[in-house]
Amino acid sequence: MRLDTDTFREIADSLVRNKRRSLLTGFGVFWGLFMLLFLIGGGAGLKEMLSKNFAGFANNTVILISSNTSKPYKGLQEGRYWNFEYKDVERLRQMVPELDVVAPMISAWSGNVAYGSHSSSASVKGITADYDKVETSQIKYGRFINEMDVEQERKVCVIGKDIYNELFPDGGDPCGNYVEVGGIHLRVIGVDFSSGNMSINGRASRTVTMPITVAAKIYHRGNTVDIICITGKSGVKMTSLESRLRSVMGRQHSFDPTDEQAMVILNTQQIFSIVDNLFRGLNFLVWLVGLGTLLAGAIGVSNIMMVTVKERTVEIGIRRAIGALPSEILSQILMESVSLTLLAGSFGIVFSVLMLSGLEAITKHEAVFQIGFGTAIVAALLLAFLGALAGLAPALRAMNIKPVEAMHDE
Amino acid sequence: MQIELHNVHKTYEGAQPLHVLKGIDLSIEKGEFVSIMGASGSGKSTLLNILGILDSYDEGEYIIDGRLIKGLSERQAAGYRNRTIGFIFQSFNLISFKTAVENVELPLFYQGVNRRRRHELAMEYLDRLGLKDWAGHYPNEMSGGQKQRVAIARALITHPQIILADEPTGALDSKTSVEVMELLGQLNREEGVTIIVVTHESGVANCTNRIIHIKDGIIGEIEENREHKASAFGTTTVMK
Repeated sequence: MRLDTDTFREIADSLVRNKRRSLLTGFGVFWGLFMLLFLIGGGAGLKEMLSKNFAGFANNTVILISSNTSKPYKGLQEGRYWNFEYKDVERLRQMVPELDVVAPMISAWSGNVAYGSHSSSASVKGITADYDKVETSQIKYGRFINEMDVEQERKVCVIGKDIYNELFPDGGDPCGNYVEVGGIHLRVIGVDFSSGNMSINGRASRTVTMPITVAAKIYHRGNTVDIICITGKSGVKMTSLESRLRSVMGRQHSFDPTDEQAMVILNTQQIFSIVDNLFRGLNFLVWLVGLGTLLAGAIGVSNIMMVTVKERTVEIGIRRAIGALPSEILSQILMESVSLTLLAGSFGIVFSVLMLSGLEAITKHEAVFQIGFGTAIVAALLLAFLGALAGLAPALRAMNIKPVEAMHDE
Repeated sequence: MQIELHNVHKTYEGAQPLHVLKGIDLSIEKGEFVSIMGASGSGKSTLLNILGILDSYDEGEYIIDGRLIKGLSERQAAGYRNRTIGFIFQSFNLISFKTAVENVELPLFYQGVNRRRRHELAMEYLDRLGLKDWAGHYPNEMSGGQKQRVAIARALITHPQIILADEPTGALDSKTSVEVMELLGQLNREEGVTIIVVTHESGVANCTNRIIHIKDGIIGEIEENREHKASAFGTTTVMK
């Protein structure tokens, strides 16, 4: 087997001069590779776009929500409703030292926020400064609520991006202006531009956030708290803390620690892992479909090469009669197959890269859909391998053509 | 003595074994122009295949230039076919997607001759056969006679000692048949190539210097034909 320009020209000749045959053969591989890469790129982009929804959300957060009890306890009937209170924060900190952040929250579901003649609907959150560690804000103007705001019950607020756009259509730094929420005027101290769609009590972009002490006054909550968000110290598995959380809260608020309905424990880790598994499944499907299509393309190449060899019996017989070695015939057919798959596959790679950048343009570059250079190289190697595999059976058949067949097979 | 066959037997195995060659004894001198003539089924094609090392034989000896041709490896057989023997076929057997000159080049490709040298040599041979202007044409753009001349150029380009022609005029009209046979005769005289023509046409056989008749797998009469007057149909009806 010689590997020089002459051999390649010989291969190029037989491919180029049988255009239709080559085109039909190549198309299967082209399409297969395009599908594989397009699906891989599309899947990765989709995952990134979806992951953005969770952006800024600590992924070991657990949300505690009080609810109606479902078991009678210490003479109290089932179906009783209870509330967290502000002191529970300190209790949890002391009883469960594995916790990192314990952030209580008061929320008013629907509220109205107004500035001058502009008004906007919003959900209202009353929080402590710690809350920023649970759901990270992206402050565009000003600052987030701090501990002093909470302690001194300062009448200040941070507004979300959408609210900012509606109340201040002219743009600019709104800090220092007073907006009206629930009949009280609050000074705007910051604008939160975070766009994650996963947040507690409504999207961050439509939320007015204020110190929890102020919210408690405005909405007459006294000492009660709606939700407590907690995060574990690093390395702590939140699921292992659940029974302790129930017993600490159950003792304080008189509900059965085994009563799982009395306190809802929302573990975001579980949600993340569900999404993660979803994408793992999706990824598997992408590879399955992509590789399947590619394999079908390769089998197509093999089939057409098989027919081609049959069709070229005389030609191969002639080559043998004028002195071609069987190994030379074998390598020629193999090389034709490899060249064809590589060439067609390269077009597939180029086409999928173009389509993926088109997809990026359509989605306004929200996520990276483009495949990596390494992926393309691996795909090219895979192709060469598939080409050789596809060419093997036809090449072996061609090798076994006897030169005498050139004289009789008409 | 260039070619020698002693008691060559060939049987095609199958449901009903076919004993085609039943002990061929034959010797052909260097530089001879002979024909092997026989009806279809006489075994002449099988004999040609064995002479061309395209097929094996079961029994006996086939000797070229004192070397026994038996049990050759594929590489050795390909070497003989490439360098020692040139083939001319009834249906020309040019590769349809290659131009005339590329077809002529092909044996040199398998010898590993570089592209430029190959092209030069092929053009030289096409020129000698009067086909220089047709070098860039594909086989389907040429007449039968032209195609056969391309095939002859392809057979000659490796300077073979033996040219085997299987019904070289079978697909040609009578005028071109005469031309092709004259060309073969000329090559024989000028280059001293041994030419063996297999045919069933007495007119074609008559153009050669010796006619070997084969019948039912056995060599029959061998006619010396220096005068070229052996045609069963008389000397006036050359062919067809």
